[in-house]
Amino acid sequence: MNGTSYHPVLDPTLAPPFPKAVLPVLRNPQLRKNVAHAIDVIQAKRSRLVAEKVDWQELRSAGAAIREHSLAHLGAYLEQFEVRCTAAGGTVHWAADADEARRIIVEILRQENASEVIKIKTMTSAEIQLNPFLEAAGIKAYETDLAEIILQLGHEEPSHIVVPALHVNRSQVREIFAQSMGIEDLSDDPKALTAAARNYLRQKFLTVPTAISGANFLVAETGSVAIVESEGNGRMCLTLPNTMITLAGIEKVIPRFQDLEVMLQVLARSATGERMNPYTSLWSGVTPGDGPQRFHVVLLDNGRSEILAKNTERQTLRCIRCAACMNSCPVYRQTGGHAYGSVYPGPIGAILTPQLMQMNHAQSLPYASSLCGACYEVCPVKINIPEVLLELRSQLVNQERGKAAKFFDPMYLGLRAANLIFSRAWLFHSAQYLGRVGLKLFTGKDGWIHRLPSVGGEWTQTRDLRGLPKQPFHGWWAARQKEGR
Amino acid sequence: MKVPSDSRARILQQVHAATQKTENPGDLASTYSSLPRTYVRAGRLSATERIALMIERLREYDADVVVTIPDKLDAAIATQLKASGRHVFIAAEGLPASWMTDGFEWKIDRNLSAAEIETCEGVVTGSFGGIADSGTIVLHHSAREGRRIVSLLPDWHLCILYASRVVETLPEYFARCDQPPVLATYISGPSATADIEMTRIKGVHGPRFLNVIVVDDLGAELNIRQQGKEEISQGKST
Repeated sequence: MNGTSYHPVLDPTLAPPFPKAVLPVLRNPQLRKNVAHAIDVIQAKRSRLVAEKVDWQELRSAGAAIREHSLAHLGAYLEQFEVRCTAAGGTVHWAADADEARRIIVEILRQENASEVIKIKTMTSAEIQLNPFLEAAGIKAYETDLAEIILQLGHEEPSHIVVPALHVNRSQVREIFAQSMGIEDLSDDPKALTAAARNYLRQKFLTVPTAISGANFLVAETGSVAIVESEGNGRMCLTLPNTMITLAGIEKVIPRFQDLEVMLQVLARSATGERMNPYTSLWSGVTPGDGPQRFHVVLLDNGRSEILAKNTERQTLRCIRCAACMNSCPVYRQTGGHAYGSVYPGPIGAILTPQLMQMNHAQSLPYASSLCGACYEVCPVKINIPEVLLELRSQLVNQERGKAAKFFDPMYLGLRAANLIFSRAWLFHSAQYLGRVGLKLFTGKDGWIHRLPSVGGEWTQTRDLRGLPKQPFHGWWAARQKEGR
Repeated sequence: MKVPSDSRARILQQVHAATQKTENPGDLASTYSSLPRTYVRAGRLSATERIALMIERLREYDADVVVTIPDKLDAAIATQLKASGRHVFIAAEGLPASWMTDGFEWKIDRNLSAAEIETCEGVVTGSFGGIADSGTIVLHHSAREGRRIVSLLPDWHLCILYASRVVETLPEYFARCDQPPVLATYISGPSATADIEMTRIKGVHGPRFLNVIVVDDLGAELNIRQQGKEEISQGKST
C-alpha cells in the first residue's frame, strides 16, 4: 500500500486543474489525516517559538527588507557572487531554463565519469525534473533526506517543500522500506525506520564521489553557499564527495554573511518550529584538504527574471522556502500538496507556479485560496500572497477577455447577465421572483439546495446552498410599511 | 571546463532590465546600510545566566553537558572518554596533546581517509564558540576544531566549549566574526529528523551523541565553581 492510492501529476504543464486534482485527495481519509496531523504538530511548535521571540516582527521586517534589497540589486549581487565564488575555487554556470540546467549538470557528471550521484534535498532540482533526466542519461541519483528516500523508494510525489513525505504515515513507510530494502522484520517504529535509512545510505555516502545540492542562501560578499538541514545527510553530501554541484535559483542570493543573522533566525522557526535547525553548513568554493575539491554552482533563471520585472509579483522571489504559508493555509490543510500539480504547493505555489509557467499553465491555482491572509501573516519575509493572488486572478480574467470563446462560457454569460440585473431594480425584483419559482424545483424538503445544473453545479459540487426564502426582504419591508408600522 | 554560454549575458541583461527602476548601482553600500535592523542584537543576560541558558538549550537537544574549570579540563575530558565506553578516538589535528587522555587509541587527523575515520568510535574537537539563545555550537574548522569530516562521521562527538566564547544572541556571534569564515558548521543538537509523522528521532547520519564540556574561563565573573551543574540549570531564566 502506498501513501497515495492515485498517482498525482506534479508537472504544471500536464496536471489537471486544482478543483479536479483535489477530488482523489478529498476521498482519501488516511491521506487527509496524515496531512492534518503533520500540519498541526508543526503549527503548534512554530507558534510557541515565534511567541517567545520578542523581536519577531522586527526580524520579519528586516528579513523582508534584506530580500527586497537583494532583488532590487540582483544583477550586481549575482555578479559579485560569481566573482567571489570563482576566486574561492568554484565554477559558476548560468542556466536560462530547466533544459539548460539539466544539460550543464549532466555535462559535469560526464566529465567526472559519474554513474551515481548523491543528493541533498533540493526543490529546485524537482522543479527542473532532474532525476528522470539523470536516469535517462544513465546516472543513478540517490536522494539522501529521509523524506526524499521515502518518496523515491515508494515512487511517491512530494506534497510539501520542507517535509515532503508528510502525507505518508509510519506503516506506509514501513511497507515501502521493507519492500525496497528487503527487510522483512522491520517494525513501524520511526526509530527503526530511521535506522534502516541510515544503514541504507551509509555506504553510498562513503563511496559515491559526486553530490548535488540546492542552496538555502548564496552569499554575494563571500561567494559562499548555505545549507540548512537536520539529519546530517547534507553535511555528508557536501563533505565526503570529490565533486559538488549546487543548483540554485538566481533569487537565492543575499548581500552579506551578516544577513544570515536575520535569515537563520526566521527560517528555522518558520519551517520546523525550532530555534535553530540541527545543522547549518556554509562553504566558499574549494578548501584544500577539506571537502570536495571541485565545486560547481549552476544559477538557474527559468522564468525568475520575468517575475522580477513585475511590480506586484516581484515579492514572490523573496521566498526562502520555509513552508510557513502552507502550514497555516486552511486550503492546504484539507488538500495536502498534490492537488497543486506542482513541486511548489500551498499559497507560495499558488503564486509561484503559474508565474514560472508564464501564466500559460496552472491557471486554476490563484483561485485555490480563500484569501484569508494567514499566509501573509506568518511569512517571515512578508510576502503579501493575497495581493499577488488577486493580481494573478485579474491577469487571468484579462487573458480570457480577448477570446471569442468567452461568449459560449456560462460563467461569462452569467456574470454579464448579473451585471445587467443588478443595475436595474425592476429586473432584480423580477429575477428574484423567477428565482424563487425556478429554484423551488431544486430545493429539498430541508430548505437546502444540494445540486444545481450547469455552471451552478460547480458551487453545489462541494457545498449546499440555502433555498431562497418565501418572501424577500424588499417584499417584507413594503408590506410592513403598508401596515403603517 | 566551463562551457562558455551566452545565457550568462542574457540572464544578467534581463535581470538588469527588470530592476532598472529599483537598482541604485552608484551607491549600493549606503542603500544596504540603511536597511531597517531594529531586531534585538545585544543580549541582556549576565555571564552566569548566559552560560546557564546555553547549557539548558543544549540539554533540550539531548546533548550531554558538563561544566569544568580550565585547570580541571584534562581530567574532565578523561572522565567523559571513560564514561563513553569507547576506545578509538580521532583528534582534530590541532588538538592540545593534554586533551588526548592516555589509555585510549588516538588517531590524529592528518588527512585521514573517510574509511579510516569511519573505523573510529568518537571524536574530540574544540569549537569557535556557542550561541546560547539557540544552543548552537559553532565550528569554523580551525586546526583545533578539525576538518568537517572528523566531526561528522564518528557516532560520538565531544566538543570543548569555552564560556568566554559563548554569546547570547545570533547577531552577537556575527559581530564577533572579524572576517566571514571560509567554512562554518552550526550544530544545534545531535542529528535529528521528524520526517515520519513529525516524531523527532535523534541520530540519522551525523553523530548520534553530542557531548559538550563547558570550560568556565570567565573566573570570578561566572560563579559556576561554587554551584554544581544542576544548580546552574535551575538558575535558568524561564
